[in-house]
Amino acid sequence: MTTLLSMRKITKSYRGAPALKDVDFDLRKGEVHALLGENGAGKSTLTKIMAGVVPPSAGDMFYEGTQVRFTNPSEALKLGIAMVFQETNLVPSMTVAQNLYLGDENFFNRLRGIYIAAQQLLQSLNFPVDPTATIATLGAAKRQMVEIARAVRLNARIIIFDEPTATLTPEEKRHFYALVRRLKENGVSVVFITHAVEEALMLSDRITILRDGEHVVTNDAANLDRDSIIHAMVGRTLSGELYRHRDAIDRVRPPKAKVLSVQDISMGNVVRNNSFSVYAGQVTGIFGLIGSGRTETAKIIAGIYKRDFTRGGEIELEGNPVRYAVPRPAVKDGIVYVTEDRKTEGFFETMSIAENLYSGLLTTGRQKLPIVSIREMRALAQEWSSALNIRAINSNARVIELSGGNQQKVVIGKSLIEKPRLIIFDEPTRGVDVGAIAEIHQLINRLADDGLGVVVISSYLPEIMNLSDRILVSRQGRIVEEFSPAEATEEKIMYAAVH
Amino acid sequence: MPSGGSLTQDPCMNIRSHIRQETVVLLLAVAIFIASSIFLNGFIEASNIVTLVRGVALLGILAIGMGIVVIGRGIDLSVVSILAISVACMLQLLNMSYSLPSALAITLAGVIVMGGINGFLVAYAEVPAIFATLASGTFVYGIGRSQWLSGDVVYMPDNQTGFMAMGELKFLGIPAEIYFFLGIAFLAFLALRFTRPGRFIYFMGDNFAAARNMGIPVRPVIVLQYIVSALIAFVAGVIMAASLHSMNTRIVNSTLLYDIILVVVIGGIGLSGGKGGIRNVIVGTLLIGILLNAMTILDIPDLYQKLIKASFLLVALIADGFINPRDEQTDQAGDI
Repeated sequence: MTTLLSMRKITKSYRGAPALKDVDFDLRKGEVHALLGENGAGKSTLTKIMAGVVPPSAGDMFYEGTQVRFTNPSEALKLGIAMVFQETNLVPSMTVAQNLYLGDENFFNRLRGIYIAAQQLLQSLNFPVDPTATIATLGAAKRQMVEIARAVRLNARIIIFDEPTATLTPEEKRHFYALVRRLKENGVSVVFITHAVEEALMLSDRITILRDGEHVVTNDAANLDRDSIIHAMVGRTLSGELYRHRDAIDRVRPPKAKVLSVQDISMGNVVRNNSFSVYAGQVTGIFGLIGSGRTETAKIIAGIYKRDFTRGGEIELEGNPVRYAVPRPAVKDGIVYVTEDRKTEGFFETMSIAENLYSGLLTTGRQKLPIVSIREMRALAQEWSSALNIRAINSNARVIELSGGNQQKVVIGKSLIEKPRLIIFDEPTRGVDVGAIAEIHQLINRLADDGLGVVVISSYLPEIMNLSDRILVSRQGRIVEEFSPAEATEEKIMYAAVH
Repeated sequence: MPSGGSLTQDPCMNIRSHIRQETVVLLLAVAIFIASSIFLNGFIEASNIVTLVRGVALLGILAIGMGIVVIGRGIDLSVVSILAISVACMLQLLNMSYSLPSALAITLAGVIVMGGINGFLVAYAEVPAIFATLASGTFVYGIGRSQWLSGDVVYMPDNQTGFMAMGELKFLGIPAEIYFFLGIAFLAFLALRFTRPGRFIYFMGDNFAAARNMGIPVRPVIVLQYIVSALIAFVAGVIMAASLHSMNTRIVNSTLLYDIILVVVIGGIGLSGGKGGIRNVIVGTLLIGILLNAMTILDIPDLYQKLIKASFLLVALIADGFINPRDEQTDQAGDI
C-alpha cells in the first residue's frame, strides 16, 4: 500500500509548553489507523495539525510525496482531508440537507434541489437519516452520520475522527464500525482517536500510540494485544520521586462514617445510573478519562448541575436524602467542589489574594462583624497564606498574576475557609508546578487525616495511585470498578477505564 | 514568577489604564469646565451653576443605581420608566387627596415590586438583563400611561407646600439635590464596600460561575440589585418632581437613559462587570453633566446634541471593549 500522508518530526508547543515532540506519522491509502494515548498525550493536537486546524511549530508534512503546509482547515479540505470533531460542527437550526451543502449553496438556493441531492448521498452511504429533519432533533449518532456524509460529499480521501464512539450507544457503535469498513472499501483512509483498546484492535489496520507528546510505537494491529497497548500507554519515564507508588500499604486510612452515598444518579446520557459511597477520614480517588462523566457527577453532588428530575437517583449526605437546585445549600451542608478550571469558575481574577480568601468567609456568614472588616480580611489572608504557603510578591497581588500553583492554593484555601465536611478536588494539580503539586498532595492527605471526606478526581494515574485509599474507576458515566491501593496497578486501572 | 510571565502583562495594564481612565475623565471635566467658564457667556453665572448642579445631581443619582447593576454584570434599562411612572402615580394619588405618607407607601411598594420583577426575570427566569429590563420598562410605561394616568404631565397639587419647598431647599447657597446626590453616593459606597451583598455584587460581576459554585446566593443578590436600582430611580424622580412641581412622563422618550449609561461607561465601570465603583460614577457624572450644560448654553440644536452624545457613547463603549476585554469564556450571546 502506498503512503498517502506522512508527517515528519512534527513539534507543537503552546506557550512554550510542548504538546508534541518530533512525532512521525504515516497514513497509507485505504487504511484504518487508530491513535491511542492517555489524556494529554497529544492525539488531538496531531490530528488537528493533519487537518490544518492548528499549524505545527516545526516539522514537515507530505501529501502524496509533495510537501504541504496548511494555514487553515479549508486548505486541507481541498486536498481531501476532512476532520469530524467530537463536538459536531453542524448548525442545529438547519436541516440535514442544508448542513450538507453549507457554504456551497447557489445564489438562488432551491431547497428541493438540495433535498434530492442529499437524499441520494445519504442513500448511497446507507444512512437512515431524513434530509429534511433539523439537526437539533437528531441524536449524536445521526449527527455524526451527517458530518461523515459531508466529508464524503467533499470527496474526502482522509477522514479523521476525534473520539467518534465516545457518545454512541452500542447499537450506534455497530453502525459506525460498518461505516468505517465501507469507507475503507471505497479507498478512503481513516484516522480515529479512541480510548477503547478493543475497538482499536478490532477496527484498525495499524495502531499508533502516543505518550506525553512523544511517539511510542506504530505497529500493525495484528501484532499488538490489549496488554502491550496499555503498557505502552502508561509506561512512564519521568514520574520520578514525586509519584513513588506508596509502598506502605499499611498507611491506608480505614474508613470512618459514610459521608456520602450516591445511588443510581443520572443526568442525560452523560451520567448514567452512577452509584458509589464516600467515607470520612480517607481519600476516595476517582480515575476516569475525559468524557467519563466524573466532573458532571461531582457537580451534581455539589448542586452545580441538577440530576434528572425523574429517575435521577438518590444522594444521601450522612444518611439524609438531599437534592440541590443551586450550589448554596450544598455549601451550607458542607459540600464544596474545587473546580478543574480555576480561571473560568474558580477565582476572582481582578481581586487580591486576601479578597479571594475572604469571599469564602463572607459566603458562610461566619465573619465576626456584620460588616466587611479590612482587618479581619488581612488577618485571614495572612493566616491562610502561611498555612498553604501561598507565595506572592505582596499580599495585594491580584490572583491572576500568580503562578498556577499559587492560584490553585488560593482556590483551595477559599473552599477550606467554608469548613467543608466533604471536599471534592477535580484535577487538583492541573497546570500546577512540580513543587506545588507535592504541597497540594500533602494538604489533601492532611485533610483526610483530619477526618474530612475527600474525593480526588484525576485523569493522571500516578496521582490517583499516590493519594487514594480507595480507587474508583469511572467509565461512560458510571463507576465501574473499585480497587484497594494494595491490588491496584496502573495497568489494571487503565484496563478498567478503557472499554 | 517564571510560569506566570505572560499573564502578568494584561492585568497590570488593565489596572493602570483604569486609574488612567478615571484621571483622564476628571481632568477632561475640569478642562471643559474651565474652558466653558472662559469662553461661554453666562456659564459661570450663579443661576447657571445652580441649573448645572441640579442636572448633574439628578444624572448622578440615576447613574449610581445603574452603576450598582452594571458592576454585578447586569444592566437596567427600565430606570427612566420606573422614575416617571412611579412619581407620576404618586402625584396622581396626591391629587386624588391621598395623604402624602399613604401615597408614598403605595408607590414605594409598587417600585419594589417592579424592581423585584426585573430581578426575578434576570435571576430566576434567566432572561438576559438587557431584554428583560427593556421589556419591563416599556411595560411599566405602557400600563401606567394607559391605565393609571390621565395625561402626559401630572402636576403637584397646590396643598403640597412641604413637598414643593423641598425643591427650593438650599444649604450654604447650594441646592439640596447635590446633598442628596452626595448622600446617596456615600451610602452606595459604604454598601458596596462594607456589606456582604455589596461584596457579593463584585464577586458575581468578576466571575459569576465561581461566585455561584462557592455558594454565594447569586439569585437573591441579583433581585436585590434591581430593587435597589428601582428605588434609586424613584428617589431621583421625587427630587425631580420637587423642583419642577410636576412629572412629565415624556421623559421616557428622552435620551436620559443613554446619558445614564454614558456616565457609567465613561466613568470607567466596565460593562463586563466587577470593576469600578462609586468614584467612577462621580467623575463620569461631572464630565457628562458639564458637557450637557455647555452644549445647552452653546444652543446646539437638540438633534446635534443627540449626535454628539451618541458619538461619545459609541467611543466610550469601544474603549471599554478594549480596556476590559471579554474572553470567549465570559462572553455570552445576548448579555451586555
